[in-house]
Amino acid sequence: MNNNPKIPNIEHVPIYPPGHSESIKVYESKSDLDIWNAFNNGDENAFNYIYRMYVAILFKYGCQMYKDQNHVQDCIQNIFIDLRRKRGNLSEVQSIKSYLFKILYRELIRKTKKEIETVNHSLEKMSQSFSIEFSQETKIIDLENQEEKSYRIQTALNKLTCRQRQAILLLYEEGMSYKEIMVAMELNEVKSARKVIYRALATLKSLLIKN
Amino acid sequence: MKYQDYDIANFITDEFFIQWVKNPNENNNHFWEKWLAQHPEKRALVYESASLIRSVRYGYNPDFSDQMYVETFEQILKAETELNHAKPIRVATITPTPKGNFFSFFPIRNIAATLLILFCLWAQYEAFQYNPQSLEKTNIPMITRFNPAGQKSIIDLPDGTKIHLNSESVIEFPQKFSDDLRLVSLKGEAFFEVKKETRPFLVESGNAKIHVLGTSFNVKQKNNEPLYVALVTGKVRVNAGNGDQVTLDPDEMLVMEKGGEFYKRKFDPLSELGWKDNYLIFKNTIFSDVIDKLENWYGVKIVVKGHIDPKWTYSGVYKGEKLENVLRGICMTSGMNYKIDKRNITITNPK
Repeated sequence: MNNNPKIPNIEHVPIYPPGHSESIKVYESKSDLDIWNAFNNGDENAFNYIYRMYVAILFKYGCQMYKDQNHVQDCIQNIFIDLRRKRGNLSEVQSIKSYLFKILYRELIRKTKKEIETVNHSLEKMSQSFSIEFSQETKIIDLENQEEKSYRIQTALNKLTCRQRQAILLLYEEGMSYKEIMVAMELNEVKSARKVIYRALATLKSLLIKN
Repeated sequence: MKYQDYDIANFITDEFFIQWVKNPNENNNHFWEKWLAQHPEKRALVYESASLIRSVRYGYNPDFSDQMYVETFEQILKAETELNHAKPIRVATITPTPKGNFFSFFPIRNIAATLLILFCLWAQYEAFQYNPQSLEKTNIPMITRFNPAGQKSIIDLPDGTKIHLNSESVIEFPQKFSDDLRLVSLKGEAFFEVKKETRPFLVESGNAKIHVLGTSFNVKQKNNEPLYVALVTGKVRVNAGNGDQVTLDPDEMLVMEKGGEFYKRKFDPLSELGWKDNYLIFKNTIFSDVIDKLENWYGVKIVVKGHIDPKWTYSGVYKGEKLENVLRGICMTSGMNYKIDKRNITITNPK
């Protein structure tokens, strides 16, 4: 099983600060473990690489939890500052993506809790997190039927619990393995990650199979 | 359980299957293509499962802007230097010069200072001598490829990207791409199979710019018609001249009017992309478009005699056919006659 899925396509093309293009060339073929160790040992290019590869998807993922873009941006900034500060003492990481997803999730919860206490934000915000869009590649024939079916699946998906939607998005939108989902969602074992998905899909089964 | 006993629920929860759908690579492609060849009856099920997986998307799709990218990066580094200020600055250790060293005879600092001054003077001189023309000389020469009517070609770019250039189309690109950008400009129609790498790939077509990382897509903009961008794999972002931008997912086609208004729709791969594999396709095509298409495709001139019903349309698919066979096909179904005289064709409707 491939535990180090490279990002298949990056739709976003930012202007690179100097050094970013070079860092890609060096690290593209290395394993997550090696890249992380290099970063831990203070290699700036390794940091550039990690930032370049993951910052945009972290942002997208964070925004699924809280739509406040500035808030998410702050949290991303914080986790990177924190990681850089702890260089030399970082523990081993097999999948950088799932690890970063995990610590961003934590940071978002931590920072948002603080806000809720002070500004008296409503907690229902959280229940709208990880909403799913289901848009099937429509075949030319039977377009109406397809659209109606897609709509029904989308409605059913968004009736799942927040955790289930989160797991489904990690699996299908991010293409993570169960092991990576386990890390990103801080579950105890791979089995639990599978369980979350199976349970969610069992609810949808009748909808998915009936045509 | 074996893959051949899988139902849809098994497929969409299988890691190896999901990996293939989401992150296809040599390994899993090899396996699943072999497997599909052995189990052709499972093809529909596999496509249905893959389609379900691909259909699940984030409900909210904000863009991480260039500005945010740079800003966040700078903030992270800035936090570090602020932190470092609090710590004592490490004192550099100076190795003492050994006695009797050759260099100790020279006042090395003075030499260094002199060299520095000389360098500054030289730099100043160069700056005054600066001449924009010398810059142009170092510019990389541009290559232009043009296909007249009746001609199609495949162009291999130095980065490994492959371009199928349709007839009556022009493409321009540098002999060698710069270190940070691959830029080509297109008039007409081309299908791109962009080699995936770190330098962004940019297609200019009219006022619009299409940003790519590694993907295959079709671009068409002819004369006063809208711009069509049909995406097959990967992801592209199209910037309209007026600053609007839109992202395309696979199987989506962007239609952008001259005025900059745009919308997305699905497309039929054969009618949009068939040309590059030599498919000549008519799908409820009206008469004048059939004539245009034939003239363009074969590089001929067509004259029409007699009245043609404005409701007349034609549908048909030809692969790599000679003009005569296509004309025969079209005329046979509609009771028209044709005559070929070298590059001049006459179509007559006796009715």
